[in-house]
Amino acid sequence: MVWQRYLAAFLLLLPAAGLRLLTTLYPFIETFRLSLTNYNPAFPPEKYIGLANMTRLVHDIGVSSSITFTIIYVVSSTLLQLAFGIAVASLLNSQFRGRSVVRAITLIPWAIPMVVAAIGFSWLYDRDYGMISDLVARVTGVRIAWLSGFATARIAVIATNVWKSTPFLALVFLAALQGVPAELYEAARVDGANRFQTFGSITLPLILPQATTMGLFMLIWQLASFDLIYTMTGGGPGFATSVLAYSIYRAAFGGLNFGYASAMGLILFAVVLVAGGLALLLYRRVEVNY
Amino acid sequence: MQTTSEAQRTYRPSGIRWQFVLDRALTYLLVAIFLFVVLLPFYWIFISSITPKFQMFSIPPRYFPREVTFENYLNMARAIPYVGYLSNSLIFAIGSSVVSVILSFLASYALARIHFRGSNVVFMFFVLSIAVPQIGTLVPLFEMLKNAGLVNSRFALIGLMASLITPFTVWIMVPFIQQVPAEIEEAAVIDGARLHQVLWHVVIPIVRPALATMVIINFIIAWNELLYPLVFATSRLTKTLSVGLVEMAVDPSMGAGRPWDLMSALSVTMIIPVLLLVLFFQRLIIAWLTRGAVK
Repeated sequence: MVWQRYLAAFLLLLPAAGLRLLTTLYPFIETFRLSLTNYNPAFPPEKYIGLANMTRLVHDIGVSSSITFTIIYVVSSTLLQLAFGIAVASLLNSQFRGRSVVRAITLIPWAIPMVVAAIGFSWLYDRDYGMISDLVARVTGVRIAWLSGFATARIAVIATNVWKSTPFLALVFLAALQGVPAELYEAARVDGANRFQTFGSITLPLILPQATTMGLFMLIWQLASFDLIYTMTGGGPGFATSVLAYSIYRAAFGGLNFGYASAMGLILFAVVLVAGGLALLLYRRVEVNY
Repeated sequence: MQTTSEAQRTYRPSGIRWQFVLDRALTYLLVAIFLFVVLLPFYWIFISSITPKFQMFSIPPRYFPREVTFENYLNMARAIPYVGYLSNSLIFAIGSSVVSVILSFLASYALARIHFRGSNVVFMFFVLSIAVPQIGTLVPLFEMLKNAGLVNSRFALIGLMASLITPFTVWIMVPFIQQVPAEIEEAAVIDGARLHQVLWHVVIPIVRPALATMVIINFIIAWNELLYPLVFATSRLTKTLSVGLVEMAVDPSMGAGRPWDLMSALSVTMIIPVLLLVLFFQRLIIAWLTRGAVK
């Protein structure tokens, strides 16, 4: 009976869908309303102020530099993660002793908390006592206070982010490569193709679909990333490493400007929408070309 | 034919061999570099956690500890209510992984097995809701929980986190259930079994290993979560270890320098549970994590 089938589907979907509606769809819509108010929980009467938050946003240097660095951070992280991910995957796909152990180790950066990675790298980057600073100083003779300089802090957080997520992408690409029959590589080797030729004509074309999907996913996912910046630099020095998600958190739970933070939230939604749209267009093109 | 290949092998044996050896050496060199980069932070955190504090700040930094101490761990457990935070973390991570897998399983079963109008739309609703940034929804969520008196509630924290990981779990689970043969379920239905009986006696025994793996993966994701506990757990009865760690990192009372000795020790204790899960279940975890991307 039809109605029984619909009732069963409804009941099974209700808990998960209800929870998602309550914790994602409702807050998403409520953000639009709050963005038109000056709501601050410390000074209760909330007042409708129209687009005043939006005009304030346009002149907020903190917000505009956050948007700039968000784009730099997300685009460069994603491109580097894809490039290194593919390189590591093709390395792990070659024959060597202890491959399964190396594969297990590759999973560890994904599995540890981002806050732990952020703390570990901050300590490695420490100007006087950190191992990275020390190694760089031994090789180049220059001792760098990584997290205190504008450009070096940006490099440092992007490098940490790439370290954290590249191994996961490598495992995804490796899984894709393991579907490739070994005879293909054998044939290439018999024909005298070297490592780079095999990579260019077999490996790369075969993981291009996965690379595009994962690139799209990483792009959108990292637009909202917060943990690393919060733990490592607090957006500093100045606004050098401040990302949009961090600015929203500061406005909301540092300054209690809930209305203003909601307006910034809308900007983030818009950025995600635009990035998602552009990435989808790119995805379509790659799919057709492939 | 035979003679030609014999001739070739005797003609250039050492050239081919050298090329092969070089190729091998290059592979091992690259693997070594990769392992060095991956393991460096772990090594640094670990040796810092067992180095006496006064030796941590030596110039140049010591790459190998000369003395080993557990003092940092004891100081760390005095600086924060470690056991309390640890049990909060465990309750939060176990609770939200189990709840998310149960809810996702029910929803995925409906989406995979029951034919109804709009099932594709519902599936897309789940998947696309991953794109809504968590940070953008925090203010309304905070208002909602505050009005309901649920800030600092374990149930609310578990509910929020379970909701966050549900889309990903549904995304992995729907295609999985679709590929399980439906004949046994159909036979049970013909024999007059009700839906809950089919689920409990027929489906769950088949998909149990898959559910267990998703519980492990979601546990790791929840164990690593910072944002929800940071905002919604403000008392020592609900704060998790990740909140404890970032509070140490940004605590102004610690002075200009961060307490690297305490943070290293705390970090090591936060790595150990996920490290054990990875070591025991790496094959399953990798297979299921990459399932969504590789069809």
